Amino acid sequence: MTDTTPDQMGGAPAAATDETKPFVEFADKSGGYFAETFLSIQKAKLPATHVNWMAAIAGFPWAALRANKMLFWIGFLIDLVAAVYLMQVWKFSRAAEQAVIDNKDFLVERFENWTTSSLWAAVIIFILGRVIFGWLADRLYFRQYNTWRVDHSKPSGWDMKRLVWATLIVAMIAPLMLYRASQFPPEERTCIKQARSIAAGEEVAFKDQFDCMIIGEFPTIVWLERRDTVTYPRDDNGDRFVRREAPREGLPPVNLNSYTAQLIDDGIGYLTAFYGFFFDGITTFLRSMLSAITAVFVGTPWIIAMGAIMAISYTMAGARITIFVAASLCYLALFGFWQTAMDTMSLVVAASIICIVFGLPLGIWVGKSKRGQAIITPILDIMQTIPSFVYLLPAVAFFSIGKPPGILATVIFAMPPMVRLTALGIRHVPENTKEAALAFGANPRQLLMKVELPQALPSIMAGVNQVVMMALSMVVVAALIGAGGMGFIVTEALANTRTGAGILAGIGIALLAMMIDRVVQKANTVKH
Amino acid sequence: MNDNREEGVVVTRNVWKIFGSRADEAMEAVRRDNLSKAEVLEQFGAVVGVKDVSISVGEGEIFCIMGLSGSGKSTLVRHINRLIEPTGGDILINGANVGQLNAEELRAMRADKIGMVFQNMALLPHRTVRDNVALSLELRNVDAYTRAQVADRVIELVSLQGYGDRLPSELSGGMQQRVGLARAMAADPDILLMDEPFSALDPLIRRVLQDEFLDLSKSMNKTTLFITHDLDEAIRMGNRIAIMKDGEIVQVGTPEDIVTKPADDYVADFVAGISKLKLLYAHTVMEPLEAYEQRKGPIPQAEAPVAEPDDDLDKLIALSVNQDHPVLIKSDGNVVGVVSKDAILHGVQGEA
Ligand SMILES: Nc1ncnc2c1ncn2[C@@H]1O[C@H](COP(=O)(O)OP(=O)(O)OP(=O)(O)O)[C@@H](O)[C@H]1O
Ligand SMILES: [Mg+2]
Repeated sequence: MTDTTPDQMGGAPAAATDETKPFVEFADKSGGYFAETFLSIQKAKLPATHVNWMAAIAGFPWAALRANKMLFWIGFLIDLVAAVYLMQVWKFSRAAEQAVIDNKDFLVERFENWTTSSLWAAVIIFILGRVIFGWLADRLYFRQYNTWRVDHSKPSGWDMKRLVWATLIVAMIAPLMLYRASQFPPEERTCIKQARSIAAGEEVAFKDQFDCMIIGEFPTIVWLERRDTVTYPRDDNGDRFVRREAPREGLPPVNLNSYTAQLIDDGIGYLTAFYGFFFDGITTFLRSMLSAITAVFVGTPWIIAMGAIMAISYTMAGARITIFVAASLCYLALFGFWQTAMDTMSLVVAASIICIVFGLPLGIWVGKSKRGQAIITPILDIMQTIPSFVYLLPAVAFFSIGKPPGILATVIFAMPPMVRLTALGIRHVPENTKEAALAFGANPRQLLMKVELPQALPSIMAGVNQVVMMALSMVVVAALIGAGGMGFIVTEALANTRTGAGILAGIGIALLAMMIDRVVQKANTVKH
Repeated sequence: MNDNREEGVVVTRNVWKIFGSRADEAMEAVRRDNLSKAEVLEQFGAVVGVKDVSISVGEGEIFCIMGLSGSGKSTLVRHINRLIEPTGGDILINGANVGQLNAEELRAMRADKIGMVFQNMALLPHRTVRDNVALSLELRNVDAYTRAQVADRVIELVSLQGYGDRLPSELSGGMQQRVGLARAMAADPDILLMDEPFSALDPLIRRVLQDEFLDLSKSMNKTTLFITHDLDEAIRMGNRIAIMKDGEIVQVGTPEDIVTKPADDYVADFVAGISKLKLLYAHTVMEPLEAYEQRKGPIPQAEAPVAEPDDDLDKLIALSVNQDHPVLIKSDGNVVGVVSKDAILHGVQGEA
């Protein structure tokens, strides 16, 4: 537990020169050894194989005495993991004995295997870990010296009192960890049963209760009475009304999750039952918008559509990118994806148009008004963190399946960058240009149209590009709820393990994305 | 209240501007305890930009404002078209209180009456030079043809012909400054606010534009507030000069007043080293004929050179060169005074 051995190599602290004096002052005990080690670290002469064997043998208590937090946690973790494996050895050997008694041969063999592998793991982790610990010790301790040199209030030297802290930390963590490793955790069902029997007033052994509370799943704390079942049947006139039925007698209470899920379902049910016309209206609008766009993309004969796309790409982005576009179009056509790709494009265009129409004014509002920013930014944050799949759920709940809900889910997913980048562009318009326009008598509308929007345009166009890209990726996912297009081929291939078909469609989607991205980006840079 | 016309076209009455979140508090404290700029900064974290400024600029006048960097020149001028709201005091334009205008009236006043040249140019980067110059006309919904005509004429005035279709980023700093100047002139306002309009120009083009501007403002009778760091420029352009320090106006006067009778050391430092040749006149440096003759004896009046009381030092020096006699100052044929070579030398040094 002390650094006496290395002391003999480095000589007594008294022999310290001017050069090594701060080292000795810092290290306190075994100053000579550390003076020499630190000096060789400073001269970059420390051998790569240098290990502080005292530290390696002593383990994390050494780090505690030296007040090196980082090293303490590393050392503690090594020992803890090794100990956990040892406890598992005990657990599995007990289980093996039990299996012998129960006459379950296959279990005996499995548990014995686990016993051996756990033992090996424990030994290897312990020995290797301690060597690494010893290797790190002096190097990390030197870093500690560097921080101490800047700020002498940082801990230095050697102090037995620090062991008290270390012991406290170990006492708080280790016992439970080791206990958990030595026990098979109770199953959730067992614990639910147990909770009921406790509620019914039966006696339950303390160990079982403890296991359920501490080492299994987080215990279910909140129990709630079941809600009434709500349905929305039609009366004789064909109007819907709300019918509530109390839950059957004697059904056990439910947990927070089931209760809230039920609540949400009821809410959605209510909205669709009584405000169905609203959702139907949206669906109808989306459908007619989509069919108009589809008529252009799918209804145009492929030869004209290809020519048009290439012409657009040439005027917008030049010859080089048009060659790439032509090659991509050939791929889509040759592999039989033409119609499907155009179908996907219609979805993307429909969703992007909606995103831009709503996102642009919203972005302007967020960019100009503090309140707008305070309201919208958190919503955008949430929209961007929710995984894309989750958007499919409310879309299906309110709009059933098919293309319209697919478009809606896509819109929600792809809208944030439009709003954000528009707001960013507006906010970054230099104050002095706005001031100049105001000084010459611009009204708010002129300010927006002649000064702010033109200067925010590059940012807005970057937003449009992002919207299109994200819409494309979401449209593929939306195939899961029947939006069709290229995504349908991929999801179908996934379901039937037709890997080849899936990969070909995947490449097609990637080419579509790259085509749009290159053209829009190039068009953007050419203009500015 | 309504009859302020004789007072001047642009009038500020006890205008204060204090920047910071606790400006009103600071304002009260300053009024009460007469704190200095540094004290306000320390106690309230607020910056005194303009301190109790009252000026009155008459019609057709060029009013120069000078002062060290950070003395509040830009801040003061920005109050006049209400780009900044004063913390206290009033601004009157043709007798109308700018602070009481509603949004529409304010907009109309900015569009029709006031033009501004910004210190940092503030050109719109996405518009060509021509469209920048025509901005004020466009905001007034003037048709495109007239806009282009006016813009091209003004662009020529600032000698930028041929650059009409370039973007500001393709122009040098001095050229951009001239675009800013052209933009203000194209608006053809009655009142011009010019924040260091010539600071980035080379001496030649600066001289040309100064003359151009002097002619223009004389013939069009424009009222101008002109900020500059350059005392020579201020003296050349200004009918009157105001010297600012820490937000306060320390002295207002004609160029001659400022140079010959600086109000304090700050102004004296400012004007030290300026050439007095064009600033001092015979009537300031002359002495009565009797006083001179008492000291030096009679002057042969036929041989002595003769000048008018309004002739400046420059002219007097030209007359005295190769002369043994002092210069006689005659008004309407009567001798009103004498200027000796000593008096001229004193005058050059600034001691009238
Ligand atoms: N928006 C602002 N917020 C806070 N303080 C400001 C603001 N504008 C100006 N000030 C302060 O007001 C004071 C006067 O600034 P102003 O721009 O009027 O100086 P200036 O005389 O024009 O200087 P320069 O010759 O450098 O242009 C300075 O101390 C400045 O820090
Ligand atoms: Mg300024």
